[in-house]
Amino acid sequence: MTSPSHAHDPHRLEPEAFLEEVHSFEFWFQAVSGYLTGRPYGHAAQAANEAALDPRARERLLTVLANYCVGETAALEGASGLIGFAPNRQAKIFLSTQVVDEGRHLEVLLHRMRELGVADAEAEVERRANHTLVLFKRRLLELVASKDWEAAIFAQNVILEAMEFVVFQTHARRADPVTREILEGIVSDERRHIGFGENELGRRLKQSPHVRPRLAEVRRELDPLVLASFEETLAEVEVPRSERPELGRNYLAAVARLGFE
Amino acid sequence: MIADPLEAEDDAPRQRFILDDTGFDEVPAKYRRFYRKWRGAGDSLAPNEVICPVCSVVIRSSRELRPGDRVYCMPCMSRLVVVRAASGRLEAHVAY
Repeated sequence: MTSPSHAHDPHRLEPEAFLEEVHSFEFWFQAVSGYLTGRPYGHAAQAANEAALDPRARERLLTVLANYCVGETAALEGASGLIGFAPNRQAKIFLSTQVVDEGRHLEVLLHRMRELGVADAEAEVERRANHTLVLFKRRLLELVASKDWEAAIFAQNVILEAMEFVVFQTHARRADPVTREILEGIVSDERRHIGFGENELGRRLKQSPHVRPRLAEVRRELDPLVLASFEETLAEVEVPRSERPELGRNYLAAVARLGFE
Repeated sequence: MIADPLEAEDDAPRQRFILDDTGFDEVPAKYRRFYRKWRGAGDSLAPNEVICPVCSVVIRSSRELRPGDRVYCMPCMSRLVVVRAASGRLEAHVAY
């Protein structure tokens, strides 16, 4: 079915009107309705009918899901804290949608662990949490607590989200049908989060280039923590070593666009 | 449009495109036909399409794109400018 070529053409919007539209709660609501409706807990596939995973694969998947929960909890707590000192209304409203997204991610991932037979999913997350990811979470929340807008957005929406975006996409291609559908829904949300982070920081750096050295320092400190934990995740989901540099390249391209080599 | 006269390739009329819904469901329904997913190896870009460098979604326009054109990636909220890369292909660069 086709519509007149100019009807609702987003590319005809003035820049300010575009930003107003995409940061709005209404835009978010209509967007997520498109890919989440009819998918309770993130999937329409019947978990009850799925073939049982072999014990080793199930173990690996549980460790990966547990660590995704750590990352999502970090982003949930980080994004909610950021709202209080976000510099403008658009950023506050956008972050309120990100908080809802992150809360949903945590819920569907814990639910998936229960579908896989875990009785106490939250205790399992504690037990399997990767030490470096826990350190990253702690440091991110310190940046939020210190109300350092640029550093916290950089840590959360660029470093953490960019790596999650790539890892979830890669994992989804190899995952069982239920996990795949859950991850694809999360990736659709992550597009907004990485875009918000990169564009918000890009505008900030343009106006205040003096913050760049401080962010470079944050990157030097936090990059290795996230990289190490996702390297471990990629090994758990059996991504061949030959494909891992490609994942790194995607992340490096994002920080290079912001001027960090 | 924010076409730079120095970059404009020519003033020839542009090819027009009728955009069909490709099933892309990550933006409100009224905007969906302006985006599609990249289908990987074997996929190719039409003259009215560029890839978003931030989130890798294919951005579609109702007209042929040329260097200097402004396009928006709604799925990742990015403002982009179309440029001609050294390879001769059209690319989108983020405009913060």
